[in-house]
Order: sequence, then structure tokens, then C-alpha cells
Amino acid sequence: MTPSPTNTPTSPDLSRSDRGSAAMKNLRSYVPWHTAAPPMVFLAMLLVVGFFNPNYLGPFGISIVGATAAPILLVAVGQAMVLNIGSIDLSNAAISMLGAILMAILVPLIGPWGILGVLALMTVIGAINGAVLAYTQVPSFALTLGTLGILQTAALVISDSQTIYVSENREMVTVFYNATLAFMPLTFWIGVLVALVYWVVLRFTVLGQNMTAVGKNESGAIMSAVPHRRIKIITFAISGFTGAVAGLCIVAQAGSASASGIGSNLLLPGIAAALVGGTSISGGLTNPLNAIFGALTVAFVPIAIQALGFSPEAQSLVYGVFIILVVALTTTRARGLVIK
Amino acid sequence: MTAFAPPVLKLTNVSRTFGKTKAVSNVSLTIAKGEVIGLTGENGAGKSTLLKILAGIERPDEGTMEINGKVANFRSPNDAFRAGVGVVHQEQSLFTNLSVAENIAYQKGSKTGLSRFGIKNWGQMNADAAAVLDKIGYKLDPRARVGDLSFVDRQMVEIARAVCVEPGENDTPLIILDEPTAVLEQAEVDVLEREILKLRKFASVIFVSHRLDEVLRICDRVVVMRHGVLTSDRSTKGVSRDDLFKAMVDDAPVIATRARAPLPEGAKPAIEVRGLTLEGKYKDFSFAAYPGRITALVGTNGSGRGALVRALFGAETYDAGSVLIDGQEVSGWSIRKAVAAGIAFVPAERKVEGMIGGYPGTRNIFLVHQKEAMIGPILHPGKMAGVAQTWFNKLDVNPNNIHQPLDQFSGGNQQKVVLSKWLNSADLKVLMLDHPLRGLDVGVCQAVNAQIRQACANGTAVILIPDTIEEALEMADEILVMRDGEISARYDLGVAGSLAIKDIVAEMV
Repeated sequence: MTPSPTNTPTSPDLSRSDRGSAAMKNLRSYVPWHTAAPPMVFLAMLLVVGFFNPNYLGPFGISIVGATAAPILLVAVGQAMVLNIGSIDLSNAAISMLGAILMAILVPLIGPWGILGVLALMTVIGAINGAVLAYTQVPSFALTLGTLGILQTAALVISDSQTIYVSENREMVTVFYNATLAFMPLTFWIGVLVALVYWVVLRFTVLGQNMTAVGKNESGAIMSAVPHRRIKIITFAISGFTGAVAGLCIVAQAGSASASGIGSNLLLPGIAAALVGGTSISGGLTNPLNAIFGALTVAFVPIAIQALGFSPEAQSLVYGVFIILVVALTTTRARGLVIK
Repeated sequence: MTAFAPPVLKLTNVSRTFGKTKAVSNVSLTIAKGEVIGLTGENGAGKSTLLKILAGIERPDEGTMEINGKVANFRSPNDAFRAGVGVVHQEQSLFTNLSVAENIAYQKGSKTGLSRFGIKNWGQMNADAAAVLDKIGYKLDPRARVGDLSFVDRQMVEIARAVCVEPGENDTPLIILDEPTAVLEQAEVDVLEREILKLRKFASVIFVSHRLDEVLRICDRVVVMRHGVLTSDRSTKGVSRDDLFKAMVDDAPVIATRARAPLPEGAKPAIEVRGLTLEGKYKDFSFAAYPGRITALVGTNGSGRGALVRALFGAETYDAGSVLIDGQEVSGWSIRKAVAAGIAFVPAERKVEGMIGGYPGTRNIFLVHQKEAMIGPILHPGKMAGVAQTWFNKLDVNPNNIHQPLDQFSGGNQQKVVLSKWLNSADLKVLMLDHPLRGLDVGVCQAVNAQIRQACANGTAVILIPDTIEEALEMADEILVMRDGEISARYDLGVAGSLAIKDIVAEMV
């Protein structure tokens, strides 16, 4: 904690609150806090776990974190793009699930075309989400809640509630998990690559500039001839595509897919990872690169809880408290008092 | 009844200053019981500020205010309400999805039968509302949903709410109606006028209106404001519209500040409108804007000029008529098409529609025309910064920081950036501005006007909705006066020589 300003009256002409806010301003100009916070939180967590239980930070431990983080990362990056335009996509995890099941069915039949076809199909489903949002103005929360139900049912029906194994061409998908780079499976690096591409899109293209403009002030964007409907369709298509890539990660990891198996619970960790990564839930502010650290943090918390020796019963509680604390730390307060 | 009843309202030398402008200057006014006073004056004459002082929204810097003989020192609208001042604001502020009775009950607050042990007391609420409606003598079902009512009925609910004020036992309420007729059709105006006259049985009324005929018909006395000063306070008997104009406006003709030439022979309009109609806003509207000329649309707020300009920009639809760009009729008109055709629009709602507050100057300037900063598909940050810096320097934006979010700038500097956004295009054909100087100080106004003239000199057709008639006379080549959605007069300043403000006002009201 910084020393109380009353003890060191350096500038007596300033009132206390003025001085406090001036100090805060200085701090902000040196450290863009919402950019630096997500990686710092993750590193701090690594340090704590490394101090108490170094065994968890070996190559094996890191590969586990990477494997767990990969699908969360992809879903989170897609969610971050949607949150950035001021909407939310509750269906993206269901898209992953359905995508994984379809890949598990199609890859044995038609090989790589199965993967590409599913990526294309899920992109189209995302685009339909966006189009319905843009033209009917059903709030995205309600709309994607509906899509979520539809896609979950589709996943159950298509898989007949069974686990579907990739019976042939198995290595074609599992290679993404088994091949590693710096102890991390390839699936994680795919997630990093996707995040990097989205970061470039947001920062250096007209499309990305328009997306953020819609998120910050939609009426202002419309009056500046920003194609707001097209922006929504593209953004939800991106979320659908990213969800399908997450589906690929799931199949790659398990060699199979089912509506209730690995990766069936990605929605909330995905949103949590986006928020821990500093994305604003009211729109207009995100950094896909920080979503990487958000996903790593969210994936690492359950492991850290175990490593620090909390009882299994307390895990959800610690997890919940931790997420609240981290979001409180990483969120930006530049937008003032408006909280959604 | 005592022989001596104090006046319902007594203002003595009330003043209110904003920065360097005296919005209300030394105003003294007395209103007796049961009087209906008309208050009129140009936009910006200080009427709104005076009303805000009476309503407890603004506090006077100087002077005293007495309501029913008691010194009034309002700290909030609630204080005014309790002292007996009820206001019907220009914009309706009803809860449209609640019933008439609920709307009235919420205005009255906790002292009514709003709730019993925390539960809504519907019987009491409906009875209270019926009593109030009975008092103003208007037949309306207290259970009706406000959203289902006609506009004039809703206006009466507003009045019923205002009538709920709580003056003392023998005191008279003061009801203020701020342009209640501005958006009404003639038949509805008649109804409303009749109802207002009923109020005088138990209240005194201040009736604000631009429509002088109406003021003369309804009111006992008429008060005129100009530049914050009461210029006239007299009985309506034997007063003509012309007398009121003289009090409302300066007589001196305005000296032209810009060389103006008549429209050259065979000039082709950049944008033309033929018979454009939007039900209830404007009808059968035709005009053309020419390159290198400024056309000003002058009229009151209800004249339909705002909606017209928004339709030209593709931001709102129109019912009938056609828009022509370079002689070609457009179809499926939209903002995207308008901008592609070289049209720019600076909206009146700067913070909401004019800019992206969270974005810095660079991003705001490059929101519309990006070609200059593109390298392949990439929007180059260095090039963006270069161009933005040029505009910041040219328009002297302060603070001169192109990377600071725009919502941290003052209104004037924001407006400079909004202008830069549109001016940053080589082929700007039409520049439309809706109240571009709203809320800006004098220095910034000059900078903004200089940019508008510059664009005009570069061959852009400018369509301007000015705040004041002076602004129109200062800037425009042609002035179109709008009244109730139609053109009531056209003045070509290249031909007309000198033009007095009162002539224009006469066509507005």
C-alpha cells in the first residue's frame, strides 16, 4: 500500500482528493493497467503454486494446463469478439459441442473435408445468429439462449446420446493434440494463433475498427455509415467459426465426442476467461491476446486449488471467489459508473 | 377570501448567468390569481432558463422570488412542487406503460394512496386520479394505459400531474405549460386551449408558445423576452402580432459577413428534393442545394426541418417524394448510400450520434473515409496519426492529443473533430449540419463557421440548421423558412440585399 498522503504534504495547495486522483492519473499513464493485469495475474498464480507445490509446474503440469486451456481459450476469444460489439453469444459452446460430434462422424467418412466442412457449417450457423440479431433486434442474450437449446438438441439427436469415436482417420484429428511445442499441445497454439489474428483484425483493419465502434456507441457508428448489420453478422460468424475450432480441439484431445463428454461445459469458463482477460461486458473494449491469459488463468485455477491443498468440497467456492477477485482486478474502470 | 390576496408569483430583479452570457437579466414579473400569462420570445431568449428557475431546476444568481406571498428559495424541483409550481415540460415525461392513475400517483409521491403497507392501493389511487381529472374538468378513465391514449389526452395527463402541486390552504397553484401545442394538430390545439382556460378557475398559468395567434387568443397578458430581458409586458387587448414581433426581435438589419452572389445561370444542384413528405413532420417539400452555396433551414423546433435533414442523410425514411443526387433519383436511400454519394451530416446530438466517445480523435476521424490510411487491407496507425494530427493542428483542437478518448474533450473540441471526420474527404458534395454550434462558446463557433465557409468555398453544397436567425443571416446564401413542415418563405441573400430578422420570424410563427 502507498503511504497515506496526509503524512507527506508535498503540495499543500492541492486538496487530498485532488492529489489522490492526480497520483492515480500518473500511475495510469505509466501502466495501462487493463493491458498488463491479465498476464500479471496469471504469473502471480504460477508463482504462488510454484512456491507451495513446485511439482505442478513441471512439463507435464504445463501440458495439462495448455490442454485444458485450449478449448476455453478458443471459446473465450470468440466470446470476446462478440462482447466487443456489445452483444453476447451463449450458443458458442454448444456450437463447439455439435461441431465436435459432427467431426467425429464425418472425419472417418471423408477425412479432412469433414473438418473443413464443419468449420464452414458452424461459421454459417454463427452468421445466422448474427443476421437474426441484426434484422429482428431480438436481444443477443435471448436469441443465443434459444440457439443454445436448438444446437444442444441437435447434438443429442445426431449423436443419439452416445459417445462417438473417431473410428478411422483417427490420427488426422489427434495429431493436433499429440504434437507439442514447448510442452504445450498444438491445440493450445492454434488458440494462440487465432487470438493473434483477431488482435490484428481489431487493431489494424477497418472491420475491427468498426466492430469496436459498434460496441462503444452503436448510434454514433450508424450515423458514421458503419455497416452495423454486416458487422454483427461477421462477428457472430467469427464466434461460430472459433467455436468449431474449439470443437476440433475437443475431438483431438479425446479422440471422440459426445453431448455430455469433455468440453460440454465450456460456456461459462469461456465467458469467465474473456472477462478475466479484461474484456468489458458492456462492449467496446477487448484484447484477444489477454484472453489467452484469461483462459490460462481460468484453466489453471482448479489445478492451483488442488495444488494448494483445498478440500474438494471447497473447490467451487474458492474458484468463485477467485474469479470475482480477478475480474475486479483486471477490469477497466475507464467507462465510469455504467455496469451491465 | 381576504381583501388583499398576494400575487401568485412575484419576481424581483431575477438574474442568472452562465459563463459570460446573461441568460436571464433583471427580470421582474408579477402574476395575479387566475391570470393566464403568455411568455414568448426567440430561441435562446432566456425563456427556458426562466422556467427552470421557477421550476427549481436552476437557482437565480440575484433577485428574489415570491410564491403566494412567501419567499421561495427552491433547491430542487420537489421544493417548487411543494410550493405550488407545477410544470408541463416540452417533452412528455409520462410512464407510457402505466395507467393514468399510476402516473398521477407517482407525481404526488408518498403522501397519496400510492401504497398501503407497501402494497399498491388501487382503489385510493384511482379515486385520487379521478378527483384530479374532475378538478381540471377532463373526462378520462384513470385505469387507461397512458401508451394507448391520444397525444392530447396524454398532454392532459401531464397537466393533471402538474395540477397535483401542494400549495398551502388558501394559496393558488402556478401551472407552467412549456410549448404544449408545439406538436399538436389544429383540432387538438383547440381542445387543449379550451382545457387551459378551465385551469384559471383555480390556478394561475404561464403559457409558453412560439405561436403568437395562440398566445393572443388564450392569454390575458403577454410577456416577451429578448436576450434575457423582459422587453414587453402588456395586456393582450388591442395588441397585434406585429407589436409582439417588434418586442421579440432586433430591428436592425444584419450586415452580411460573407460576399454573396446570386445563383449563377445553369448551375446544377448537388442535391435536390421534390415533393418530399413524411406524415406529421413535413409535406410536399421541394428545394435544391447548389455547390458553393449555403442553404439555411430556419423554423421552430416543431417545423420538421430536423426530420427533413435526417431523411436526406438516409437516417430516417420518408413517405413520398424523391431525392435527387446530381440529377439522378435515388432509391432505397440509406446512410451508407448517402455517404458513398459524398454527403456528410453533423447531427445535433453530438455525444450520442456525432462521435464515438470512447475512441480517440484518430479513430473518430477515420471512421468514415479510410482510403488515405490504408496499405492493402491494413489500416496503418502511422498514417492515421499523421492525418489526424494535421486536422488537430488545422482546427486547433485542445488538448492537442490525437490519442486521448474524445469524451474527455470539451464540446467545442469534440465538434471540431466531428467536422474533421467529414471534411477529411476529397469529394465532399453535400455537408449538412444540424445545430452545429449548439452549446459552443463564441471562439469555437467562429472556428466551426470558418470550416463550413471553407468547405463551401471548395465547392461543397451546405445545408445548415442554425440555432438562431442571426446565424442563418451570417452564413447563408439562401434561407428557407419552415412552418409546420412547409416552406413559408424563401430569401435569396445574393439578391435580397438587407433582410430584417422580424420578417423571418413573421414567417416562422
